[in-house]
Amino acid sequence: MKIIAALWNTLKRPPVHISLGVIILVSFLGGIIFWGGFNTAMEVTNTEKFCVSCHEMENNVYQELQQTVHWSNRSGVRAICSDCHVPHNWTDKIARKMQASKEVWGAIFGTINTPEKFEAKRLELAQHEWSRFKANGSQECRNCHDYDSMDWDEMSDEARRFMEPAAERGQSCVDCHKGIAHQLPQQMGSVDPLLAGLVREATSVSLDEGETYFSAKSVDLYTDAERTEQAGVLQVATEVNVLETQDDSVKLEIAAWRKEKGFGRVLYEDFGQNISSAVLDKDIAQHGAMIETHQSDVVDELTGLPWGQVSVTLWAEKGAYLGNREALWETAGQTYRDACSVCHTEPAPEHFDANTWPAMFSGMVGFTNMSAPTQELVLKYLQMHSSDFVDAAH
Amino acid sequence: MGEANDQGETRSSGKRREWLAFLFVTAVVVPLLTIAAVVGYGFVVWMLQIFVLGPPGHGG
Repeated sequence: MKIIAALWNTLKRPPVHISLGVIILVSFLGGIIFWGGFNTAMEVTNTEKFCVSCHEMENNVYQELQQTVHWSNRSGVRAICSDCHVPHNWTDKIARKMQASKEVWGAIFGTINTPEKFEAKRLELAQHEWSRFKANGSQECRNCHDYDSMDWDEMSDEARRFMEPAAERGQSCVDCHKGIAHQLPQQMGSVDPLLAGLVREATSVSLDEGETYFSAKSVDLYTDAERTEQAGVLQVATEVNVLETQDDSVKLEIAAWRKEKGFGRVLYEDFGQNISSAVLDKDIAQHGAMIETHQSDVVDELTGLPWGQVSVTLWAEKGAYLGNREALWETAGQTYRDACSVCHTEPAPEHFDANTWPAMFSGMVGFTNMSAPTQELVLKYLQMHSSDFVDAAH
Repeated sequence: MGEANDQGETRSSGKRREWLAFLFVTAVVVPLLTIAAVVGYGFVVWMLQIFVLGPPGHGG
């Protein structure tokens, strides 16, 4: 207290011993040194070296970045952590630096100090960044990738078809380009809650012999009731006839068409349409005693390929079938609309025919986060609601 | 004589005190206050972003 009082006594009087010139000079130099130091410190905390100095960053996101185009590419320009994750505007930058106190807390108390903990938090962390990018229109992307500087003629037609309308709307880059510098959260790639619900529902559907059901997921097919020798895979939303049940197994009859060129491994929903129902192993498809041929050598005029109508009888697990396809189609339709409308107006399913959809779909599905099972279902939904199945088609 | 000596001592100790106060304030107090102000500003903006403004927006 006494020291502060003495200090205050000295400060409140005009200086007697120090000249005004010295005071101005020393204060001015002090200001320069302080400001320089402040900026240097700010820049140090923006360097990649600083970011990956904690192992949470070093072992997870930094390794993932190194697999991407933002790490190495043909033009040799790369992005470091702060280019994308720290706002460049001063106020927002300071706020972000203060926000990092939460990261310091996390580093001290080990919130995500193991790969498992990090993986569990990945979705939440990603959502924080996505909502930030949503709010600022992906400003940090656009510091480098400017819509105004894109030369549409240099772009592939496919890219241009989506980039030009996006530029007109000033769309946020991350709307479509999620998972471009780090991996997508696992949840987004593996579990579709709607579909998972249907698969759960299927476990409680009792199967009556002689009735018709639809697979709620893809199911392994076997030649024997003990399910020891695999014969192929039944795909999702395929119509099956239950012939016999035994313990946990069920004997299914799959009515299908197949191409009589090659090994005839793929079973299709209908004549001349590439809507797959099941894929058989080569040996089974070639010599299987489980395959009964009803018609043979029916030529599809468009392709000139001979098709045959068959029914295949194989064993599979119980509890994976639904009484009808309505709920599956509803889920698929919802997923289709949600995933596609993020970037563009989705075409109606009947806009294309069943044989056009696979190429169309595989060209686009990379931009979505649909899991493999969901993709299979959505494609089948689109094909079975395509112009081949709708009267009011184009 | 003694008085003059006393005066000289008070003079030099006064000079010392003045320099100490000056350097202490310019090199320690003001920088700390400045940092505190910037940190405080950052925290206020951060809290506003959480509760009022939402994430920093376009040109924000």
